[in-house]
Amino acid sequence: MAEYVGIDLGTTLSGLAYLKPDGNPEIVPNADGERLTPSVVFFESHEDVKLVGSAARDGGEPDRTIFQIKRYMDDPEHLVEIDGKKWTPAEISALILSKLKRECSKICGDITEVVITVPANFNELARKSTIAAAEMAGMKVKRLVNEPTAAAVYYAHSQGVKGRILVYDLGGGTLDTTILEVNGEQIKILTSEGARHLGGSNFDDLLLEAYAEQYKKQTGAALYSDERHRRRVLHATEDAKKMLSKLQRVNDTVANDQNSGIARIDLTRDHFEKMIRHMLTRTVFLVEQALDSAKLKPSDIDHVVLVGGSTRIPKVKTMLEKMFGKTPKSCGNVDECVALGAALFAKKSARIQEVCNASYGTLAMVYNAKTKEEKLMNTIVIPKNSIIPCSRTQVYQTSEDNERVIEVDITQGEDEDAKFVDVIGRITLDVPPNRPKGCEVAVTFSYDENQRVRALVVDKQSGRSKEVAVTYKGAGVLSDEELKRRSQHLRAMRIE
Amino acid sequence: MFKIFKNISKSLGGSGKSAEGKPAAKAGSLLDKVNKGAPAAAKAEPPKSPEELCGITPKMPKDEVRAQLKLLFRRYNRSASSLDAKLRAEADKMLDAIVQVREKHFGEI
Repeated sequence: MAEYVGIDLGTTLSGLAYLKPDGNPEIVPNADGERLTPSVVFFESHEDVKLVGSAARDGGEPDRTIFQIKRYMDDPEHLVEIDGKKWTPAEISALILSKLKRECSKICGDITEVVITVPANFNELARKSTIAAAEMAGMKVKRLVNEPTAAAVYYAHSQGVKGRILVYDLGGGTLDTTILEVNGEQIKILTSEGARHLGGSNFDDLLLEAYAEQYKKQTGAALYSDERHRRRVLHATEDAKKMLSKLQRVNDTVANDQNSGIARIDLTRDHFEKMIRHMLTRTVFLVEQALDSAKLKPSDIDHVVLVGGSTRIPKVKTMLEKMFGKTPKSCGNVDECVALGAALFAKKSARIQEVCNASYGTLAMVYNAKTKEEKLMNTIVIPKNSIIPCSRTQVYQTSEDNERVIEVDITQGEDEDAKFVDVIGRITLDVPPNRPKGCEVAVTFSYDENQRVRALVVDKQSGRSKEVAVTYKGAGVLSDEELKRRSQHLRAMRIE
Repeated sequence: MFKIFKNISKSLGGSGKSAEGKPAAKAGSLLDKVNKGAPAAAKAEPPKSPEELCGITPKMPKDEVRAQLKLLFRRYNRSASSLDAKLRAEADKMLDAIVQVREKHFGEI
């Protein structure tokens, strides 16, 4: 049995690694001989089989091919309908995980428990969906770990470095940044920040627009008229993007599927970098945000580490070099280090000090004595980046005489403005009648090392209390029964 | 529906201002209030420039512009992962505006 297994369930590529007896992690190839499996699922129409990986990506039937499902893990309304059956993002992800489990276990032994990586800013629903996907695939999730944290653990292990490290992880779909301190075997995470929908696939989309524009200019026609052809051109733009990381200029020829002629596409690295400049500026914001959160300056960082395929873009390196005054270092194979780090994390988690991924608090009316204004605010009980495990209490007051029920809305998010946070739960506590306003209510949040949050509400006067596990139970979350039913269904499927 | 109020001794969001609990009129749930938080009239307004969206005025000192952009980026970057689809869409627009203002005021990367 493989005891320590890590999985990088990526937007474009997924990988599985295990810890060898010598303590070093190793990527386990799939049955197609590939170290990384494209996160693509194809629903074959003639045979009852789900293809996952390269075969799915090259299948050619866009209506039956699912790309980048990870982007929708927190969207309860995103359902993929194939042959009348509606698939949730968690179920599609479960097919990818099933392939990894089934095929890799033939090499490294049975896989029952895993560490899975997620983007730093994955919200509550996306994290739950990831856990559900693993369970449907027949694996228990030992821990979820932030992708840049996993990469940093691998970097620290393989390079034997010491000091403060900033990890810049620009993958296919997300950007993550983590700052950590390494001292021998001890690792302290200081902060993790993430940005959604900011990665290589966004760059591909911009290149696709450039291709379409040049084609239209030269032929007067549209480059693609259906999803199948759009996918083909997108494939070409991905190749062009990779080439532009090595060459200053790339030439390509493309045609549409309407016999409108062939166009010669001429792209320079300079032009490409201008195209993606806005997005790279967003990445700079995120790096600055991470530095601010950790109360550090660029000069306080000893090592800047690059992770994710999109960090091969030369502009990314020059931009970070300018910002930090030192050359960023690559984390070995930038596509594999997250899975490798996850396998290491499975064993070393006790020596890694982590922080809260988000702030937790409650909604409350706050009266400002100076301005005489009253405002609904998000009041934070556990701030983001608190060292975990932790427990914090804040005391509130009832607002009216004879309150019979106290309702506490549980929030996730840093903003004081209630509009900008997610309400992920509510505790309702019955209290005795005929009490004056101003009775104190203590709200305590506890966050454990498994990233589980509990909330305790105590009415101080009556001593009545209620404790709940803070967990998002809204739309998109499967019931235990439904999860079990879908797991059984999925395990009977043929997945290649 | 009842509400809870923040403790008198608690400072107002770290701003240093004092805050105290005070009764308020009964209303819908707090959650309802949050959902109704966005002004309905916003749709009818003419399109705003990136500066207007970010609350940047022409005479604002550079330090203030930088601080405002950082605050907005933190807010809307987080909102881009919100469980609320409308807020996610708003966040995308705001993030574009924030980047445009930064490039205009502080140069390109």
